[in-house]
Order: sequence, then C-alpha cells, then structure tokens
Amino acid sequence: MMLYLLRRLAAVIPIMFGLACLVFFLLHLIPGDPVEVMLGEAAHPAEKEALRRALGLHLPLHTQLWHYVQGLVMFDFGTSIFSGRPILDILLERLPATIELGVAALAVAVMMAVPFGVLAAVRHKTVIDFGAMGFSLLGMSIPNFWLGPLLILIGAVWLGWFPVSGREGWRSLILPALTLGVSMAAILSRMVRSSLLEVIREDYIRTARAKGLAEWTVIVRHGLRTALLPVLTLLGLQLGALLSGAVITETIFAWPGIGSLTVEAIQRRDYPVVQAAVLWISFLYVVVNAFTDVLYAWLDPRVRTEESP
Amino acid sequence: MKVVNTRVWIVWLSVLGASVLVFGCRDVPSQSDAIRVGVTHVPDHFDPRDATDAISSRINRLLYDRLVDLDEHAQPVPALATWEQRTPLQYRFVLRAPRPTFHDGSPLTAWDVKATYESVLDPARLSPHRSTLELIRRIEVSRDDVIDFVLDHPDPLFPHYLVIGILPANLIARGHDFRRKPVGSGPFRLERWIDDTRVRLIRRSDGQRIDIVRVPDPTVRALKLLAGELDIVQNDLPPELVAYLAEDDRLRIMRHHGTNFSYLGFHLQDPVTGQREIRQAIAHAIDREGIIHFVLKDGARLANAVFPPEHWAGHPALNGYPYDPDRARALLTQAGYSPTRPVRITYKTSSDPFRLRLATILQQQLAAVGIDVAIHSHDWGTFYGDIKAGRFQMFSLAWVGVKTPDIFRYAFHSQSVPPHGANRGRLNDARVDALIEQAERAKTLQEKQAVYRTLQAVLLESLPYVPLWYEDHVAIVRREIVGYRLASDGNYDGLRSVRRRGITTRSLDRESTASEERHAIGTMRRQ
Repeated sequence: MMLYLLRRLAAVIPIMFGLACLVFFLLHLIPGDPVEVMLGEAAHPAEKEALRRALGLHLPLHTQLWHYVQGLVMFDFGTSIFSGRPILDILLERLPATIELGVAALAVAVMMAVPFGVLAAVRHKTVIDFGAMGFSLLGMSIPNFWLGPLLILIGAVWLGWFPVSGREGWRSLILPALTLGVSMAAILSRMVRSSLLEVIREDYIRTARAKGLAEWTVIVRHGLRTALLPVLTLLGLQLGALLSGAVITETIFAWPGIGSLTVEAIQRRDYPVVQAAVLWISFLYVVVNAFTDVLYAWLDPRVRTEESP
Repeated sequence: MKVVNTRVWIVWLSVLGASVLVFGCRDVPSQSDAIRVGVTHVPDHFDPRDATDAISSRINRLLYDRLVDLDEHAQPVPALATWEQRTPLQYRFVLRAPRPTFHDGSPLTAWDVKATYESVLDPARLSPHRSTLELIRRIEVSRDDVIDFVLDHPDPLFPHYLVIGILPANLIARGHDFRRKPVGSGPFRLERWIDDTRVRLIRRSDGQRIDIVRVPDPTVRALKLLAGELDIVQNDLPPELVAYLAEDDRLRIMRHHGTNFSYLGFHLQDPVTGQREIRQAIAHAIDREGIIHFVLKDGARLANAVFPPEHWAGHPALNGYPYDPDRARALLTQAGYSPTRPVRITYKTSSDPFRLRLATILQQQLAAVGIDVAIHSHDWGTFYGDIKAGRFQMFSLAWVGVKTPDIFRYAFHSQSVPPHGANRGRLNDARVDALIEQAERAKTLQEKQAVYRTLQAVLLESLPYVPLWYEDHVAIVRREIVGYRLASDGNYDGLRSVRRRGITTRSLDRESTASEERHAIGTMRRQ
C-alpha cells in the first residue's frame, strides 16, 4: 500500500512541472499587455518600458519561465501586478471560502443523490424511477448561470430567507451550495442508480433475500455499501472541480473564492495571479485524483493487488 | 468484505461530518446601520498616486483632498487651494482656511502638497500620472499654506492636472503603505478592509459607515437592491434592468447627463471604410434616436463630438448626421455601390452581451440601406488587441472619463498611431494635425476653445468616428436612503451627505444635512 501511495505521489511532480510550463506559455500567448492595463494606454513609452523591466516582463520568455519555476519550488508565486500583494497570501485568503462552498455543495449533492439514486434503482422502471431520473436530467440540463439567479429570486428576494450574495454567515452558503450541488447531485444520482442496479442482481443479494432479511436491510446494508464504491471515483473528480473554485457560481454569488479570483485576474491580465490560480486548480485535480486512487485502493484491496508489481 | 464496507461508511460519514462542521462554523454579523454601495469591483489599493481606474479614483476622492476639482464644464475650481498664474511658467496655490487635518490628526500643509507631487514625479515610483505632470520643473514652498509650481513650458491647462489626492509628507518619507493603509484628509477614512469583496469606510463628520460591496454580476446587483442588501447602485447596469428596477416603489432612480462618448470607429486606410461617402452613409443609416429611446431606454443623449456641449472645449452648435436612409443610399450610389454590388464591412465588437445586441441592431439598420455587415465578436483582450493593431474595418468603443483636450492629439494626430497613441483608425489629415498643434500652442483658454471647436467641426465633417451618444449616469437608491446626490462625472461625492432615514449617527449635524438634502432635491429637479 505504501509503495502504491509513493508511486502515485511521485507521479504528481512531473505532471505539475509540465502543467506549470504549459500554463506559463499559454498565458503569454493570450493577447493583452498588463503594463498597459496598469499604466493606461496613454502612458509614456519610457514609463511602460520601465515598468516592464520592474516586473521582469522584458526578459526572454525562457528566462521568465526559469525564474517562475525557481519561485514555485520555494512556494513563491510572485506578487499581484495590481495589488502588489504576495499571491500566496491572496490564494490562502480565498481558499477557505472555496473549501467552505465546495464541501457544502458536496454535502447537498450527496444528500440529494443517494436517496434519489436508491429510490430509482429499487423502484426500477416505475413512476418513481422515471421521476427521479427526470429530475436528474433537469438538474444536469439547467446551467448554473440560470439556476443561481432563479434561486436568488425565489429564496432571497421573494421569500427573504437567504441573503442574495456575499459571504456573511451560514445562511449565505445555502443558495450557492444548492446551485452547485443540484447539478452534481443529478450526475451522482444516476451513478448511484446504475451502480445499485448492478449490485442488486448479484448472488450475495439474492442470498441475503433468501435468508429472509428485510428488503431495506438488503438494499442499505448489503447493496448500497458496495454500490457506493465506484461513486467515490466520480465524487473525487467532482471534489477537484469544487475545490478549484466554481467560476460561474462564485461570480454570481460574489463569493470570494478561487473561482472568482481567477475570473478577475483573467479580465485584468494579472498574469502572475492567473498562473498561480490555474496552477492551483491543476494541482488540486492531480492531488484529488491521486487521493481518490489511493482511497479506492484502500477501500478495495483488489485494485492495489492488480497494480502492484 | 466487512472491512471494505466499514471503510466505505467511514469515508461517507467523513464527507457528511465535514459538511456539518462547515455549515456551522461561520457567522459574520453584518452592520445594519452601514449604507451599502454595490460596485463591480473594489479598489486593489488606495494610493491616489497609482490609481487609474474609475472605482479607485472615486473612492480616493472620499479619502483624500485635492488642490483642484473639475466642475461640470471640466473647468478647474478651487478645492484645497485657490491659485493665480503669476507668470506663464509659475502658478501659486494658497491653501484655503480652515485647512483640513489628516486622518492621523496632523494638519495638511504646503509641504504635504510638495511631497505628494514630488513623489508622483519620482521616476522610481513609476506613477501612471507622471507623464501628465512632468512639465513641472520644481515645486517651492514659501509658507505653510503657499506653494509655487514652476513649469518647463507654459500650459494654460496646468491647474486641470492637479487633481491627485494629497498625502502626509512625513508618511511619504517613511515609505508608508498607502495602498493598504490610506491616510488622507478626505471626509472618509478606511475603517476596515473586510476582504476582497467588501471595504468599510467611515464618515469622519458623524461616524456613518459606508460599505463598498463587490457584486460583479449586474442581475445580482439589481436583486440585492430589491432585497435591501444594497442601498445604492450607480451605473454598470443594463438599461433593461434599470427600467425593471424603476417600476419598484422601494427604489428611486436618479439620472444625470454623462460624458462617456460612444462612437463607431473606422480604418481609414481600408479601401471601403476609407471612403468618406461610406462613413457618411453609415452615419445617416443609423437611427441613433431610436436606439437611445428603445434600447437605452432614454438613458443617453445624442453626441456629435468627443466632448459634450457643456464642456469648456465642447462645440454647442454642431450639426450632426440625422437619420436619413435615403441620403445614405444616395451616398452609397455616389461611391459606386448598388443593391447588386453591396458594401461589405466587418464590424468588431467585444463579447459583452449588451454591445453584441447593439451590434445586431446596427447590422440590421445598415442592411436596410444596402450595407452588409458581418459581426465579429471577441473577448475583450483579443478585441482590443485587434483594434490597436489596426485589424478591423469598423468597431465600436467609448471614451470614458475624458476631461482634458489632449485627447485630440492622442486619438486623431497622425503621430499618434498605436503604440504612440490611440489613432487607431490611422487618420492622416494635415488639417487636423495643424489644428491640434495650433490649439496646443494657444496661450489662453479662450484661444484654445476657439481652435478646439473648429477642430471638432472638421472631425465631424471628415468623420473618422461616427459619434453615437453620451450615456447617462444612473443611480438607483432605496427610498429609505436620503441625501444622495448624483455627480456629473459619476463620482461618489454624494456619499458625503447620505444617511438612512430614521437613523441618527454619532454627531450628525442636522442643519447641514437638511441643507444638503435641499441641494439634492434641487439637483434632481434640474435634471
């Protein structure tokens, strides 16, 4: 198990290096000059040049990349072009909000997906199944940029139960978490349903029924436990997406997380912040995937037996 | 199998447990007496020497005082100081009594003014305002309240440039971090930088709190107003949202003529858009009044030049291009085009939904006279990059916050083709160049005014831009908020007198508030 864990973690390093290079070059291909954004188009060319030098943007691209990678090794992401603050500080400031929203959305998704998925599987090809899957289809089809304002209109403006946006207290978490959680629940519930449908046809479930166990016990204690195993993989991927910041939802709800930070930085051509944010997102995906694999191996010994030398 | 099942349950319970912890962990009480202003983004910093964007400039006006202000005609008026031009190269500024104190309690003196402007001029600081002020040769202080600016060359517009907030000299010398900890002498001080989405200011006169709240999405800003989570939203709302909010009894709409100039630009070296007849045909084919009425919901006024008529350098009697499709068709025929040989033009615009909607309307109106327009919409960076590089035939943009006539050199002089300026259409007109240079050489404002008016008439005739409109400033204010005034340039000075009805603050001067409200009503009536 330890060897498996080390192999998975070791693979993260070259992936991250490749990603850092890719992000660096891609961002420098995007049109737009941060110096012009900072000083204004009307600034004197000499001033623009001086600022370009001060920011190190006059150096050849490979030298800039070298400095960038050197900094990364020391956890130095540089400073924001606009605020002049260390990017690590900015990321750490935004991270709690993103984690808060991500975990809350995950909870919403799990709490909705598991009952819906189980009901649909147990009442296969009945009105309940079609209803649950219809709801799932709806959840997947509704874009967040529409669902968010709709929930605001109903929950905040008409009913006045929740704040419209911002991050002030636990009530402000509900609407963005619902917005994010619903689409995720839609995907998860389909996964739970199909996984459970497979499991309940297994021999050991038939055996459990033959032993006279109650149907509820058979489904929850024997069926669901096994059926949830593959759902974990999907959940891992979703968690990666959530912790990297939900760009649209964070923007709609003025949620001060990584997603909205990324959008703001892109709009303003704040290269160092965009680089750091994209790298953080990539890092999360890689780490969460690795973690999911390890977790899967921990939960199901067959995985590590198959893959270990 | 049992071990596996137990572990699965451990994982699932951990997920749910973490969520419960998260749900219960944060509860930041909101300040109910604070007046909340919704903005698209909060400033990155509060150093007026480095600020260039509109929101920073507007907030800095509240935190810092300036030597000079610009009035509705963009003419300089005394703020901290009065002035006299002693020689063509020397201006004397005298600080008005009573002099304000900085937030740290120290009085503002001429030494602070000198230190502020010298730090702006310091090449090491890389201030974006340095290029405007580099005509200053030296700054002399003869008394605590008297300061002389000696210039390299005469410039009657010099007082227009002295609008930067004044900082305390002792803190400048110590390298104080004004970006995060502003210390000015303005009517507000920064109480707390809550996070990247909220900044809390406090009014020095009575302790009234003002929260500047970032809400990037315009629909959500409107909904927050309706829900009472915001009290004031100014500009940056699409006209249809303003019209929707205007129907709500809890809100009132304040409007003021704006100066942001929207226009259609052309590549003048292009074989099609380089022809004046084509540009004139386009000008006649666009129903600007119709667009202002139906699309902008009467939230704009027709423009015929970069500066509105009330600007000191504006032209009050320009005759623009009325909507006349027949005249447009005749001009196209004159240029050699016909329904069998239509004009084909690409029109570049940003991906902003409202700009795209305008583009499709213009496309339809131009199609009606025989101009076939292909719309190319790009993200802002690509669009702006293309415009600067000259990769366009026709585009639309707006000049925002332009107050001084150096815009004419910057946008129309033949030497200002990017990257040396913003002559993006590559205008090369000897008459225009000569008039710009003549205006720059003029010794008095009156002389300059006359030349600039001629220049604007020439520009309207040669039509490097088709002037569209000046969009109004709009503020939407909840009815329980009183005393807010909408400024002509869209600044937030109205926050100096604003208060929530029924709430008294620490040392509110009732008499002065009443007088400010009377003034606000007067301003609205004039509108």
